[in-house]
Amino acid sequence: MRTAVIAFNTFREAIRDRILYSLLIFALAMIGGSVLLATLSVGGEVKIIKDLGLAAIGLVGTLIAIFIGVGLVYKEIERRTLYTIITKPIRRAEFVLGKFLGLALTLAVNVAIMAAGLLLLASTMEARLAWELLLPVGLTFLKLLVVTAIAVLFSTFSAPTLSAIFSLGLVAVGSLAEDLKLFAATFGGPLLQAAVSAVYLVLPNLASLDVGAAVVHGRPVPAAAATLAAGYGLAYTTALLAVAVWVFQYRDLK
Amino acid sequence: MRLRFQTACLAVLLVAVSGAAGLLRALDDIRPQVTAEAEPPWLPPAAVVRPLFLGYHALAADLFWIRTVQYFGGHIQTDRRYPHLYRLVDLTTSLDPHFLDAYQLGGLFLVIGRAYPEAIAIYRKGIEHNPGRWELPHDLARMYFLELGDIPAALEWFQRTDGLPGRPHYVPRFVARLQARLGLVEAALEMWEQMLETTDNEWVRETAEQEIRKLRARQRRAAGAAAPAPRPGGGGPR
Repeated sequence: MRTAVIAFNTFREAIRDRILYSLLIFALAMIGGSVLLATLSVGGEVKIIKDLGLAAIGLVGTLIAIFIGVGLVYKEIERRTLYTIITKPIRRAEFVLGKFLGLALTLAVNVAIMAAGLLLLASTMEARLAWELLLPVGLTFLKLLVVTAIAVLFSTFSAPTLSAIFSLGLVAVGSLAEDLKLFAATFGGPLLQAAVSAVYLVLPNLASLDVGAAVVHGRPVPAAAATLAAGYGLAYTTALLAVAVWVFQYRDLK
Repeated sequence: MRLRFQTACLAVLLVAVSGAAGLLRALDDIRPQVTAEAEPPWLPPAAVVRPLFLGYHALAADLFWIRTVQYFGGHIQTDRRYPHLYRLVDLTTSLDPHFLDAYQLGGLFLVIGRAYPEAIAIYRKGIEHNPGRWELPHDLARMYFLELGDIPAALEWFQRTDGLPGRPHYVPRFVARLQARLGLVEAALEMWEQMLETTDNEWVRETAEQEIRKLRARQRRAAGAAAPAPRPGGGGPR
């Protein structure tokens, strides 16, 4: 209950943030602009609209998660509003989880708006409801939960600018996890391959939550693969939040 | 006071914007212009492009495909030479190996550029990555039949098409015609007519109409001269 109150307050605070609206407008403009881009092509017009729309949801969602997420805990400490909260009977873990859930709710609303725009456009182009896009949108939302957890984790011990740099770096590396593995398999010796395999397991593999290309091509996404990917996203988010709670629990706030 | 301030701001804005636009036009007059048909710069391999797009490979493929279309469109209206076309299509399809339109239209662009070995390479690459799709063996068979007049190769690929789900109803008829080596010009005509009927692409439609006109004229000439029917090869707009 106390977590829900913090989450709701975080949501209310986040929707007052101007950066949110700027990014949302940018995403909707990107989705709408895909129609203009598609007119430059011969063939693949609907594919271009869907690819660009899904990429806009992922990219803008990531920027919202990072730029709002990195300040969530740190700003409360800097403004000293945290001290009024922790004097109440509330655990630090509840505070961190509430902050995370509040931003997750904000992202859910934003992703829903962007997805509605994309669905409307794709359905108009194809003269049918493009329901299949809901699967990649859903997995993109799980990817954004991982990104939010990364941002919240850094926010528990670092200043927003540094947290944003760390988060962007980790998200970039996480997006390239499979390319990194491929690179090691192609060019590296046994030692490098073993090291990269270890790093591959530890890093967030954000590419595993991307099924957009398959769905856009009308290729089947096995239910087992989608379920495992969703489970991976939730498990990784839980792990990151556990570390965030642990770090914040023992942080000296004096 | 407030109105005067706002009017001053607006005036400065208008002067600055029109000044900037004027300076840009003056700059455009003295510097080399970027055009759609300009040669693409050095094309990096797919292994380099993939990481740069941070996992958005399909989007990267879309952007390179648009570049391919612009490149082809620019050259077909000018020198009709396409030295970078194969590398552009190859890069696009390496970034998104299931991009069917890029294989089909890219292959057709290469055929139009008479780059037959490259077109075959693209179709074969597409078939390798999309073994369940009938479109690519069908297009390869069509190229062998219409462009190269290679009946055995066309027959082989039409037979492969025949075994794939969703293939058009006319494929078994083509297989029978090619096996009997009968009515080849009629088969060529029917192939273009089927293409005209099934495509939703304006550019492909125009190409098919052009080829149908050519083949009908050839049929009329052949009937007038009562000469043996010419081989089907040699089609495609030039």
